Amino acid sequence: MKPGRKNNLTGYLFIAPWLIGFFVFTFVPFLQSIYLSFTRYNIITPPKWVGFANYQMLLTQDELFWKSALVTVKFAVIHVPLAVVVGVCLALLLNREVKGIAAYRTIFFLPSIVPTVATSVVFLWILNPTTGLINNLLRNFGIQGPAWLNDPFWAFWALVIMSLWGVGGSMVIYLAGLKDIPIHLYEAAIIDGASPAKRLRHVTLPMLSPVIFFNLVMGVIGAFQYFTQAFVMTPNGGPQDSTLFYSLYLFNRAWKYYDMGYASAMAWILFLIVVTLTAIVFRSQKKWVHYG
Amino acid sequence: MVKNLKWVAFLLLALGFGAFVFSQKPPSQRKYPDRIEVRFWHRWGGEWAKVVADIAERYNQSQTKYEVVPLSIPGSGADSKLTLGIIGGNPPDVMSMWNGAIPSLASNGLLTPLEEVMPPEDQTRFMNDSYPVIRDSGRFDGKTYGVTIGSDLYALYVNEEHLKELGLNVEDFPKTLEGVCELGNRLNKTDANGNLTRLGFLLNSFSFVAYNFGPGFYDPASDSLTLNSAENLRALEFITEERRKIGFERVTRFQAGLNTGSDTGGWPFITGDLSITIDGQWRVEEIRKYRPDMKYRVIPIPPPATNGRAKGGTISGNFMVIPTSAKQKEGAWDFIRFWSGFADKEASARCFNDGGWLPLFPDLVETKTFQAWLKQGPEFQGFIDILSSENCLPMPPVPYLQFLNDQIGRAEDQAVRGTLSPKAALEKLRYTVAEEQRKRKSLGYEE
Repeated sequence: MKPGRKNNLTGYLFIAPWLIGFFVFTFVPFLQSIYLSFTRYNIITPPKWVGFANYQMLLTQDELFWKSALVTVKFAVIHVPLAVVVGVCLALLLNREVKGIAAYRTIFFLPSIVPTVATSVVFLWILNPTTGLINNLLRNFGIQGPAWLNDPFWAFWALVIMSLWGVGGSMVIYLAGLKDIPIHLYEAAIIDGASPAKRLRHVTLPMLSPVIFFNLVMGVIGAFQYFTQAFVMTPNGGPQDSTLFYSLYLFNRAWKYYDMGYASAMAWILFLIVVTLTAIVFRSQKKWVHYG
Repeated sequence: MVKNLKWVAFLLLALGFGAFVFSQKPPSQRKYPDRIEVRFWHRWGGEWAKVVADIAERYNQSQTKYEVVPLSIPGSGADSKLTLGIIGGNPPDVMSMWNGAIPSLASNGLLTPLEEVMPPEDQTRFMNDSYPVIRDSGRFDGKTYGVTIGSDLYALYVNEEHLKELGLNVEDFPKTLEGVCELGNRLNKTDANGNLTRLGFLLNSFSFVAYNFGPGFYDPASDSLTLNSAENLRALEFITEERRKIGFERVTRFQAGLNTGSDTGGWPFITGDLSITIDGQWRVEEIRKYRPDMKYRVIPIPPPATNGRAKGGTISGNFMVIPTSAKQKEGAWDFIRFWSGFADKEASARCFNDGGWLPLFPDLVETKTFQAWLKQGPEFQGFIDILSSENCLPMPPVPYLQFLNDQIGRAEDQAVRGTLSPKAALEKLRYTVAEEQRKRKSLGYEE
């Protein structure tokens, strides 16, 4: 065997556990779900071919499908830019050389490694209208806080606010991006008389744009798959379906009503939406992403 | 050379660790390893799981052939775990399941019709001697798929001390739903800002209260749903109006601060936050445990002043089911017999009493064990009275019952929030369910 091939084989052998796992538990089910989306399938009895019936019903008869899609799009439109702005701002603050900066960075990063379910349970208390932390604080200023998860308007915003809890994860990536920006660019800008705001606008952000682009793509995908927090905090989709996220409705269809064919069709529509949006973001990168 | 040795040492260490981990067997749960194992999954956790474990142990001691090994699967995903267990070829032999999930599981072919394992004498006893509403709650499409080991029913819990504050005795308790709501408003307490600090009474649970106004959501004669019937509309209008009187927002805020946990001694009725409340029979046992000195009464929800139905309601609760692919169906049925009252009635009565659950057979109530227990918690009798009522009816026997229950809850939410009028909410409920039926038909489901 040629040395090159031998090396390749060794490499494949090393990644074989992951490859096998990916093939068996992700790739095959992924392909299988295409077929299942054209069937009536309840897990136990064999799938029965129904053609485009699932897709047709989803798009023409299912009010909750459209409601859940709208909730998810609304969430993505608000959450993704917000998470980018908050993440970048935090990274800029934590990029300063002040005493104890390592501790600050750790503190801001910590929430992102706390399990989502644990975070959700804590937020259930924080957002309690009567005994919760936020409303108790507001009460000190004579303000009666909203009913949060019991209010159709605030339930959605409660989840948006909560979604920023884990922004520490992307913040670390932004921070790494900031560290990679060559110092001589700032020196040149200072010599040219650029103010801090101009340095941010014309040096930092352009140089950070590949990292922002990465987080934007991951953020869009994550927003459309938003599930755990909504499931733990508002398992039935919240008051007036205000937090009925697409993935939550998909889960209920699959595991509550045993409608796997229908749920597979929903999953494929979601996949197509995410792929389309990701493609748009990728196409747009020529206009705003600078690779050094 | 040294580098190679380090690698070999590391590899050996890793292999040794792996071998150690995989050679460890989980601690055996078997107490009687020579007997046939019957795997029993149930949905109780905490204190309740101990009660169930004790019952299983009493069964194990009562005979020498089987060993029931209980496993607690608490949480809302119990039915999906059962499904996965069945698909994976490793289901329990018997599982305690919420009866609302039975039609869906049965119609999907996941459950064994119990007639296959019931001897003829058990079938006769089951069909002739049980409470009809409990019996029928475990049946679907003419077959029995679930037998109760503890049914649940709702009634009013009334705090006598709170009534006395108004100079009233429980004997003066209103005989109509209107009267109860009016009394509840008098019992409300608020702080200086108008926030509720005690809730007198809140009429909710449309899916249950509807049976006090009419026959509920299903007509057995025509085998069809009656979602937007005139009686259901009256019920929903009544609930909506009462909620409006107290204030939707006020109630929501007050309720959000209450403890809703079960079997913790923090039930808001026990703590005095609620004066009159609708709740299940298991609370009798909870009060006996945590506030034995509490002065209270259980009273069936009274009907409205006109065209109402006394002692109306519906059943929910825990029903034993046997998966189609269960390996030990005979053992499973033997355990069900023990608990549900097909075998030793006194032993069965003790099982129901331990959890404060409603029994399958009226004759279990007559046993010495049950009567002695009733003396300690006489309020339980109120629930037994409702159980015998002809107005206490099973939930609609449709395979999409979970979907239906979700939609009924949605209709109530829309009406009490004022998003839709009760009439529009019910019409929407009818439309949504009809769409679901149409969808199921077009996908080839029978119903």
